[in-house]
Amino acid sequence: MKGLPPGGERRDPYKLDRRKTPALTGHLELLAKMSGHLAVTLNIEDTIEKALELITKYVDAEAGSLFLLEDDGLRLTCRASVGPVNIRGISLKSGEGIVGQCITENTSRMVRDVSTESNFAHSVDETTGFHTRSILCSPMSTQNIRLGAIELINKKDGDGLFSETDLMMLQTLTAAAALAVRNARMAEVLVHQERVNREIELAIEMQRSLLPAARPAPFPVCGINLPAYEVSGDFYDFFELDDGHIYFSLGDVSGKGMDAALLMSKTASLFRCVGKTLHEPGTLMETINRELCETAIHGMFVTMVCGILDTATGSVRLANAGHEPPLLHRADGSYIQLPASAPPLGIMPLDIGQDGIREEQFTLDGGTLYIFTDGVTEGRLASGERLDVQGIKAIITRHAGDPAATRIQSVVSTLGESGEQRHDDITILAVEDPTRGMIKNDAACGAEPLVSLTFPARAEELHPVREVVRETCEKCGCPPALAQDLVIAIGEACQNVVRHAYKGIDDGEARLDIQCRDGMLEFCLLDTAPPVDREKVKPVWPKEIHPGGLGVCLIHNIMDRVEYLPSPAGQGNLLRMIKFFKRHKDET
Amino acid sequence: MKHEVIKKQAASIVVLKGDVDLESSPAAREVLLKSVEGAGKVLVDLSRVTYIDSSGVASLVEALQAAKRNGGRFALVAASDPTRRVLELARLDKVFTIYTTVDEGLQA
Repeated sequence: MKGLPPGGERRDPYKLDRRKTPALTGHLELLAKMSGHLAVTLNIEDTIEKALELITKYVDAEAGSLFLLEDDGLRLTCRASVGPVNIRGISLKSGEGIVGQCITENTSRMVRDVSTESNFAHSVDETTGFHTRSILCSPMSTQNIRLGAIELINKKDGDGLFSETDLMMLQTLTAAAALAVRNARMAEVLVHQERVNREIELAIEMQRSLLPAARPAPFPVCGINLPAYEVSGDFYDFFELDDGHIYFSLGDVSGKGMDAALLMSKTASLFRCVGKTLHEPGTLMETINRELCETAIHGMFVTMVCGILDTATGSVRLANAGHEPPLLHRADGSYIQLPASAPPLGIMPLDIGQDGIREEQFTLDGGTLYIFTDGVTEGRLASGERLDVQGIKAIITRHAGDPAATRIQSVVSTLGESGEQRHDDITILAVEDPTRGMIKNDAACGAEPLVSLTFPARAEELHPVREVVRETCEKCGCPPALAQDLVIAIGEACQNVVRHAYKGIDDGEARLDIQCRDGMLEFCLLDTAPPVDREKVKPVWPKEIHPGGLGVCLIHNIMDRVEYLPSPAGQGNLLRMIKFFKRHKDET
Repeated sequence: MKHEVIKKQAASIVVLKGDVDLESSPAAREVLLKSVEGAGKVLVDLSRVTYIDSSGVASLVEALQAAKRNGGRFALVAASDPTRRVLELARLDKVFTIYTTVDEGLQA
C-alpha cells in the first residue's frame, strides 16, 4: 500500500483547483504527506509513533495517544503518546473509557466539552495535573478487524474545543494510520516467515549434504531420496572401506517433519562415523541402537538396513532392524525378500550378545539388491492403488535392461504420476553385483580351456586331479593359500561326482576344464551320469553337526559362484564354479 | 594314507598321515571308531595330514559323537595347516577340542 506520489494531484482527472477549495486541498495534501511518511516504514513501533505525531500536529491538538488492542482482544495498551504527559504503557480493559467504547462500537466520538460530559473520569487529570477540556476519538480498523484507536485531547487554539471538521479529519487520518499499522503487522509476519523459511532452507541443505554424492557407473550402489515435505525422515548412505568393500545403509525414522529429520541426521551420522571402524553390519546397528536408546526421544524409533558389499565377489552381509524386507532380484529373474531379524532401533537395548543383530550372508550372483522405505510400497499410483512390493517387482522386471539408477528412478516416477502431494518420504537404494558383466554366460564353459583333464570317476583317481588344480592355480597367479582352498573345493566337487552322480558305478568318466582370465578362475566339471537332484546339492549348514553334507558347504564357502548349467552333450551334469582373485587388494 | 595307534599314559594316540580323502577315509573311519569304543581318552594327531576332505572330516565328527556317547574324551592334536583350514571352512574348528602338542593333550 503506497501513498500518493509527490505531486499526485497532477494525475487527478478532476484537476483540483486549490484556490476554490483551500480546505479540501489542504486535507488531501496532508493525507498524501502522511501516507508517504507511513509508507517508508514497516516497523510497527516507528509507524504508530510517526502516525500519532503527524495526526496530533495536523489536527492541532494539545495531546494525543494511540491505543492498540492486545492479541487476546481483552486489553488495550497505549503504544504511543504525544503531549505534555506521557501515558505510554497505560493499559485499559477492552471497552473501558471513551477509547474502549470507540473500539468496541467501531464508531468515532467527539466530546466537545468534557465539563458537560457526566461520564468523564476526572481522576486521570487529577493524577497527571493535565486539564482536559475536549476529546476526539476515532477507531482504527481494517476489513472489520479492530486494531485500536487514536485519541486527541484539547484543540490548541481558540476555545480549546474540537469541531466537527476536526473529527472528520481525524477519521480520515486514522483510516490511513490503520492501514499503515496493518501493513507493518503483515510485514512483521513476513519477516518472521522469511526467517523460518531460511532456517528450513538451511536444514534442507544440511540434510542433502548427509546424502552421498551419486557415483558414476560402474560404481555398484546408487540411491534416491525424495522428502514428502521440506525435510526428510529417511536416509541412505554408502562409502568405500580401505579394502575396497562398500558399506551401505538405508533408514526410516518414525514420524515426519523436523523432529524426524533431526533424528535421521543423528542416525546417519552415527552410521558413517562408527561404520568407518566397525565393519560388522549387525554389531554396528547394535551400537547405533545403544546410542539412540541412551538419548531416546519418547515414541521415536528408526528402522534400518545396513550391509557390506564385497566388491571382489559380489557377496553381501546384511542386517535388518525392523525395516521393510529388502528385495533381492536374482539373475534368473526371481525375487527373494529378506525380512528383519531384530526390532527397530532406539526402542530398547537388545539382548543379543556381542555379535549384534543377526546378519544374512549371500552372493548377488549377477542380481541386484533393492532396499526401500514404506513410502515406496505404500505410495499411490495414478489409479489410487498402493504400489506394494508386487508393483516394485513389476517395474524392476520391466526395466531390467536399464542401468540401476534409471530403474529406481522409474519406480519413483510411477508414484509421482498421481500429481497429489506425497504423504511419506520416498527412498530407494540399489546394490548391484560388481562382478556383473565379467562373466559372459554365452561363453560359459565353452571357450578353449587352459587345462582340460579327463579322468575316471573313482576315489583313487582324485589325488592327481587335485595336484593339477594346485599347479594351474599357482601358474595363474593365485596366492598359495587361495590355491589350497581351490584344491579343497574342486576335490569336494569331484568327490560328489564319484559318490552322488555315478553312485559307485566304476566305468564313469569326468572332465575338468580350467579357464583363467582377468583375475577370474573358472572351473567346469562335466560328467555323463544321470542328472543330480539340485535341491540336494544346495548348501545347508546343519544346525547340529552331522557327518554328511559338508562338501557342498565347503564348495560354496570357497567359490564366489557355483551353478549347474545345462550339459552341452544333453546328458550328465555340468557344474561351473568361479573364483575371483586378482581384484582383491590383499591378493594382488 | 597311513595310520598308527600309540598307547601312552592311559590315552590312545591315533596318528594319521598323508591324504585323508574319499579313497582313504573308510580306513580312517574304522580306526577312529575302534579307538573310541572304550571310555578312555583319544587324541588324533593330525600333524602329518597333507590333505583332508569332507569325508575325512565326517569320520572325525562321527568319532567325536561316538566318544561322547561312550563317555570318553576325544580331541585333535597338532592340526596341520591344511587340516586346520578345512575345519575352519567347515566351521567345525570350534566344535573340536584342538591341542597344540601331544604332550598338552596328554596333560589336559
